[in-house]
Amino acid sequence: MEPVTLEICWNRLVGVVNEQATALQRTSFTSIVREAGDLSAGVFDRRGYMVAQAVTGTPGHINSMALAMKHVLAACPLESLRPGDVLITNDPWKTSGHLNDVTICSPVFRGDDCVAFFASTCHTADIGGHIFSAEAREVYEEGLFIPIMKLYEAGRPNESLMAILRANVRLPEMVLGDFHAQIAGGAVGGERLLEFMAEFGLPHLEPLADEIIERTERAMRQAIRALRPGVYHNVLTSDGFDEPITIRVSCEVKGDEILIDYAGSSPASRRGINVVMNYTEAYTTYGVKVIVSPDVPNNEGAFRPVTIAAPEGSILNVRHPAPVAARHVIGHFLPHVIAGALGQALPDHVMAEGSANIWGIQVSGKDVDSKAFSHVFFASGGTGARPTRDGLSATAFPSGVLGTPVEVIETIAPLIVERKALRDGSGGAGMYRGGLGQTIAFRARTREPFVCSVLCDRTRHPAKGFLGGEAGAPGEVIIDGVRPVNPKAEQVVPTGAIVEVRLPGGGGYGPAVRRDPELVARDILEGYIPA
Amino acid sequence: MPARLGVDIGGTFTDLVLVDERSGVLRVGKVLTTAKDPAHGVEQGIQGLLDESRVAARDVHAAVHGTTLATNALIERKGARTALLTTAGFRDVLEIRREGRYDMYDIFIDPPAPLVPRHLRREVEERMLADGTVLRPLDEAGARRVISGLVADGVEAIAICLLHAYVNPGHERRLAELVDELAPGVPVSCSSDVVPEIREYERASTTTANVYVVPLMARYLEDLERRLADLGVPGQLYVMQSSGGIVLPREARRFPIRLVESGPAAGAIAAAQAARERGESRLLSFDMGGTTAKACVIDDGAPLVAREFEVARADRFKMGSGMPVRVPVIEMIEIGAGGGSIARVDRMGLLKVGPDSAGADPGPACYNLGGRLPTVTDADLLLGYLDAEFFLGGRMRLDCEAARRSVEEHVARPLGLDVIAAAWGIHRVVNENMAAAARIHGIERGRDLRTYPLFAFGGAGPVHCWQVARVLRVPRILLPFGAGAISAYGLLSAPLAFDFVRTHRERLDTAEWATLNRLFVEMESQGRALLARAGVEESDVRVARVAEMRYLGQGHEVEAAVPDGLLSAASLETITTSFEAAYRALYHRLPQGVPIEALNWRVTVAGPAPNVRLSGATQTGRAADASSRATRPGGAVGGDVSSPPTCIIIKTTRKAYFAETGGFVDTPVYDRYALAAGTEFTGPAIVEERESTAVLGPGARCRVDERSTIIVDVPA
Repeated sequence: MEPVTLEICWNRLVGVVNEQATALQRTSFTSIVREAGDLSAGVFDRRGYMVAQAVTGTPGHINSMALAMKHVLAACPLESLRPGDVLITNDPWKTSGHLNDVTICSPVFRGDDCVAFFASTCHTADIGGHIFSAEAREVYEEGLFIPIMKLYEAGRPNESLMAILRANVRLPEMVLGDFHAQIAGGAVGGERLLEFMAEFGLPHLEPLADEIIERTERAMRQAIRALRPGVYHNVLTSDGFDEPITIRVSCEVKGDEILIDYAGSSPASRRGINVVMNYTEAYTTYGVKVIVSPDVPNNEGAFRPVTIAAPEGSILNVRHPAPVAARHVIGHFLPHVIAGALGQALPDHVMAEGSANIWGIQVSGKDVDSKAFSHVFFASGGTGARPTRDGLSATAFPSGVLGTPVEVIETIAPLIVERKALRDGSGGAGMYRGGLGQTIAFRARTREPFVCSVLCDRTRHPAKGFLGGEAGAPGEVIIDGVRPVNPKAEQVVPTGAIVEVRLPGGGGYGPAVRRDPELVARDILEGYIPA
Repeated sequence: MPARLGVDIGGTFTDLVLVDERSGVLRVGKVLTTAKDPAHGVEQGIQGLLDESRVAARDVHAAVHGTTLATNALIERKGARTALLTTAGFRDVLEIRREGRYDMYDIFIDPPAPLVPRHLRREVEERMLADGTVLRPLDEAGARRVISGLVADGVEAIAICLLHAYVNPGHERRLAELVDELAPGVPVSCSSDVVPEIREYERASTTTANVYVVPLMARYLEDLERRLADLGVPGQLYVMQSSGGIVLPREARRFPIRLVESGPAAGAIAAAQAARERGESRLLSFDMGGTTAKACVIDDGAPLVAREFEVARADRFKMGSGMPVRVPVIEMIEIGAGGGSIARVDRMGLLKVGPDSAGADPGPACYNLGGRLPTVTDADLLLGYLDAEFFLGGRMRLDCEAARRSVEEHVARPLGLDVIAAAWGIHRVVNENMAAAARIHGIERGRDLRTYPLFAFGGAGPVHCWQVARVLRVPRILLPFGAGAISAYGLLSAPLAFDFVRTHRERLDTAEWATLNRLFVEMESQGRALLARAGVEESDVRVARVAEMRYLGQGHEVEAAVPDGLLSAASLETITTSFEAAYRALYHRLPQGVPIEALNWRVTVAGPAPNVRLSGATQTGRAADASSRATRPGGAVGGDVSSPPTCIIIKTTRKAYFAETGGFVDTPVYDRYALAAGTEFTGPAIVEERESTAVLGPGARCRVDERSTIIVDVPA
């Protein structure tokens, strides 16, 4: 295909998936999807190759959805699909690593021919089982497991599945409402795709997909070839659930390929911070991309030159039925562990370690009218400092999930947030300072104790600095004035007591003695560092 | 003879238009913007225009003003030393924002720094709950200490944004009184006045940006009013808002943030005016200049209005990289596609055009001003669309050889194409980019653009309209006369209008209609009073009510009309129907059995659209010298000396490239100033006027109407 037409077609495809995502977010019933943007959307060819993704979303969803489609096609081959079918699954091992993420896939038909798929993954409002926490010992406790199956068959809803769902989740209207939103996104995308294919006289998507994927792959390989060949090692420690977890990586740059191996990492945890291979691959690919080729599009072609291995049964490649609900706690470390390794080859392209995982604060109980509530919101600490500037305060990385406005939280849940502020002095010192974490203090308006689970990390192992930069402040969880023994464990909070979370700061970059005195003066004036 | 004056201050030029209300004769002037003292340039421009057109200052009974001064102050950080007062525990809301990154893959991005640095963000003890009840009363003694501290620190403006003030503004109002008492003369903005809507970051951002530009805009508008008086202009000064309505300076001084996009808004208003004059229920306004292109949907003679906008983006074309402001703004999509947009081959081996632009300096390669990179203008020149000798009416010569060298080196060779194929590629890609942006804009609002004629203006709009129309499959193109004057003309066709909003969450099926009636009466009577003060007859007042609604549990609202008059349970069905229709247009299907709730209730109270008819030809004067020329209505040719007085409508022919014919064809070049009403011709054709050139391909059927607009039928 000649380059001008290809450019035009490619642009059109990106436009189509953005419309899919817009329709989804605008019709969603869940604040996590529409306010926090915890979703992904993309278009796939008939072989299950991701061709384009929406610009919204978060890497853990996008890249794992790209892998998920191949499983979906293996379970439901093309010839078994009919117009009006819609597929669904939340199989953690085949999608994005925990039951809370539901992937819905809409085949697009022209006449009787399936020409493409639109898929989206959304964090659902509830999936039954345990509340969103790391407490479970098996995935069975974590909620309803939906194998790959049809949610709609030839346009008719699968009433049996709907009935099971309604009986098993706490907020069936919101959950089913969001399925509806995901289907609406697929419908909008499908309609636009067919118009586009007709206009350009494309009988199939695959030739276009091949062009896009091959060019992307070539650009990715070219970028890798520019790296200094070698094997680079790094190791990082997470708090784990009850004992520290080691994440060990070797990155081998070999010609135009990168081989990444997590051999030597800790075995699976007994609690739900385990990561499935799909999710490990998703965040590894992302970690490589931000360093090596941020300007290369993200599709099947960008994944091919990177080979990823993790020992089976390790925390980065767990077997069923290990618990996995809080897999992002470990997964969000992967871009940092990769940066520490590849940074040895490209120090100007990486940032120091940051707070890494986004903290999820889940509360549930009964409000003053004895009505049950269950609400989750997310918050971010500081990112690592960069080779040319300070880290970002209270900003998500590597996740792309946003905070929920306090006024929205208080409108939909019986919570009163007393404080949401930058955490002074929490950024690691350096020539460039790490981003500050934040402090959030809240209480619930209830007549009886409520349950709170804080999916946190870096309370014992802070974000390290890079090239002489200092570590950021560790995170803290304080409930009713007391630091719980295990901050990740579910806590029963007395009526009226304050829950305070202090999110970690990012690490510094370069030695602090080389920091511009003007920046130090500004930091003192603004209270970013103690005077 | 009564006249109206329009003045549009842009970054480089200030455009002026003067219209004689009886004859419809329009005069246009252009002066360089005097950035340091903008009112000075305006005064000189007006004086020049009045002198040249021999209109007496005393005859100007209204002056309408559009300006980007507020936007520029926000971009350049030249506003007041501003403080922010917040609920205790929340002073960092401006800096924490929504915790996102606007680019997922670029680790080097920074969000724009908050307008108020942390040491000027102070907290007061108080707390409202989400339902408006007071959890903790305002600590007045503490508040007094905080305000006095700010006075001592020399702040020049104070923003107040307390949690849940959109439900209960009590504490904000009291704080504002304390500021008035302790810091008299320091302007203060309350979030409950500027934008009484849920979401604390967006509200704080808007309120802060508002008060940040209050002192500057107040000084400027006072200065301008004084200068108009000195010139002997007795008429009232009005100011254009981003929503497309005009207001009195008094309102503009309180809410200057509502002026941010008034320049581009004026172009859309002009398109809307054209739609009304022509009886077109739909139009797609398409404005392509040197750096950006803007598209805007016009329905029933009015542009769509959005409620949110971003100013001072860190990356101009990246959503989320700026400061959010929640103000009514004419909804348009802007992308980095203009005559100066640079073409290059990316690492994927694909041809990319924009969003970076060579601007006017160093400019396209063919300007020979130092620019070496190929741009859209260079491609257009090589394709024969532009005349190297008649660019800007011959004021500037273009260098074909420089254009060829640059396209050859940077596009043709890397892609293995010949120069013309490369130039055609640049032309196509930029057109596709604009069409794609327009299409997303349409789809976000549930509009099918295939039923929208294209209203093309701006320096480069007419050059690219043919291909854009083909890609969008629109049926018709309208090419107004005098593309360069369009925006300023829009100022004169805007009605006097005031926008109001109240947040009041209410399920429709259990709505307290009495409360809603009270809110509407409150907003409407306020609007009517403002209009009455401006001299609008009660019988001319138009009121439009809109509610932002959603299904219970959703987080994004869809706007739908609310009937006039007293609301009651009987209104439920009308409102539900109107919401469902709007929802279905956007998302195809309706959730079943979910109640509908309304969040924001809005009212626009507007006076009549001024009866200004752009009849006949207009002409713009030369840049920077305030020259102006008069034209006459209804005629083929303005009576102006510089327009050819005869019927030689084809100036020449030249070879121009059309894909439909597979290459270059001899194409007649029409003289825009010689095209009489009723003239018909077919494409391929080129029509030249001083500031723009229209390119129409094979199959185009063109006719000139009595307003000198060229109507082009685009074959399917």
